[in-house]
Amino acid sequence: MCRGGRMFAPTKTWRRWHRKVNVNQKRYAVVSAIAASSIPSLVMARGHRVESVPEMPLVISDSAESIEKTSTAIKVLKEIGAYPDAEKAKDSQAIRPGKGKMRNRRYISRKGPLIVYGTEGAKLVKAFRNIPGVEVANVERLNLLKLAPGGHLGRFVIWTKSAIEKLDSIYGSFEKCSEKKKGYVLPRSKMVNADLARIINSDEVQSVVKPIKKEIKRASLKKNPLKNLNVMLKLNPYAKTARRMALLAEAERVKSKKEKLDKKRKPVSKEELAAAKAAGKAWYKTMISDSDYTEFDNFTKWLGVSQ
Amino acid sequence: MGGEEVKVAVPESVLKKQKRNEEWALAKKEENLALKKKNAENRKLIYNRAKQYAKEYDEEQKELIRLKREARLKGGFYVNPEAKLLFIIRIRGINAMHPKTRSILQLLRLRQIFNGVFLKVNKATVNMLHRVEPYVTFGYPNLKSVRELIYKRGFGKLHQQRIPLTDNSIVEQGLGKHGIICTEDLIHEIITVGPHFKEANNFLWPFQLKAPLGGLKKKRNHYVEGGDAGNREDFINELIRRMN
Repeated sequence: MCRGGRMFAPTKTWRRWHRKVNVNQKRYAVVSAIAASSIPSLVMARGHRVESVPEMPLVISDSAESIEKTSTAIKVLKEIGAYPDAEKAKDSQAIRPGKGKMRNRRYISRKGPLIVYGTEGAKLVKAFRNIPGVEVANVERLNLLKLAPGGHLGRFVIWTKSAIEKLDSIYGSFEKCSEKKKGYVLPRSKMVNADLARIINSDEVQSVVKPIKKEIKRASLKKNPLKNLNVMLKLNPYAKTARRMALLAEAERVKSKKEKLDKKRKPVSKEELAAAKAAGKAWYKTMISDSDYTEFDNFTKWLGVSQ
Repeated sequence: MGGEEVKVAVPESVLKKQKRNEEWALAKKEENLALKKKNAENRKLIYNRAKQYAKEYDEEQKELIRLKREARLKGGFYVNPEAKLLFIIRIRGINAMHPKTRSILQLLRLRQIFNGVFLKVNKATVNMLHRVEPYVTFGYPNLKSVRELIYKRGFGKLHQQRIPLTDNSIVEQGLGKHGIICTEDLIHEIITVGPHFKEANNFLWPFQLKAPLGGLKKKRNHYVEGGDAGNREDFINELIRRMN
């Protein structure tokens, strides 16, 4: 037996399906998509096979608007180099992976070229619409979902002459208002001159630029000046002479001490000994005779001398 | 700038860049020459100053000895003049501290254990030290201590950065406007508490010393009780030898 109860948050038909987008934003999007369709790198990036297309944007004469047969339509596509793109779309027809299969989205395929025509009721609609991948649109009613499928700019668009001529009146220009859209002017670009390389190399910029620092000084390891003589000299040039003087003085001291010790350790010769003894005696004599010792009289007998 | 087709077909932008690079190279060369000359002059000046200071220190020492001997001869005593310079080392950590003593230690720039700073002696500083006695040990450093501290662990404060004193140019950058252009000048200013002692001392980042080899006696007690805190006058030098 299955478990009871209802699902969490049962899906309702009154889910908010629609979204409001500002008119200006919608127009901005369409206008950007049209602009992107004329840049070969963006069109190729979107995946269209435009290697054999002679020029971007691709414009064909109005005689194409009166094509009635699909076979001639294909021939025209081959002539203008748009057939590889349509071929790609035909080859890519496949069954969708995933549950979308059983939810009425069984087949998927790539998008081919979009043909935009100018005059109302042109016959080419019927001729081109059965070609797999190819879509048709009137220039007065361009659909963003077709110009930028999946949200990716750069659909491969084939314009007819009258379609391209009408674009100016539909969307206006940067100064002139559009005739069809009340008060609408094409959006201004963020940068008028987007060529960064040119700006950087311009006179105005290069004249105030500072020279490149080629040799960057990085912090080196700190060495102890008390141990490393060279580093000490860098800080205190007098250190060398000071150290030299100290060494010399030390050597001098060592030498003189050694001499003194040697002299003391050498056995004293007879003459020197006699001289030292005599000097001692004489000094004693002078000491007792020069003494101003007050009680000398008491001790004359003991000392055995007289003043 | 686009390619102006000259006979050699060198684009104008390249020519302009070449000319500008030459100008820069010339200016740089001149600058280097001027710098070299200034350095050479400075070197001589520094040498002479260092010599003069060495003589001064020698004389001072000899004078002290002479005065002591004279006094002993006469039978009296020579009393050393009160020290003008102190070296303070923080010996306790950062936990569980009264906020007022904590701020005083911050004012003294002793924010870490075993940090050391020099300090001028006057009533204000002495009173400050009295408040933080249990957390620091201090004394009167001698010339050898000052020299070794500045040479081995001297770092200067330039643009709020701790820069090692590897070259006299760093000292000059920091204290040039007070006439102190080399480490010997700095040492002299610190030891003879000179007119710009405040700036010189502030230029020196607080010394980060290592924990003393051989250990402390007893942090919790005052020095006179057999511990380590407080004023230990001249014995600070022995501690500095062990911590430097």
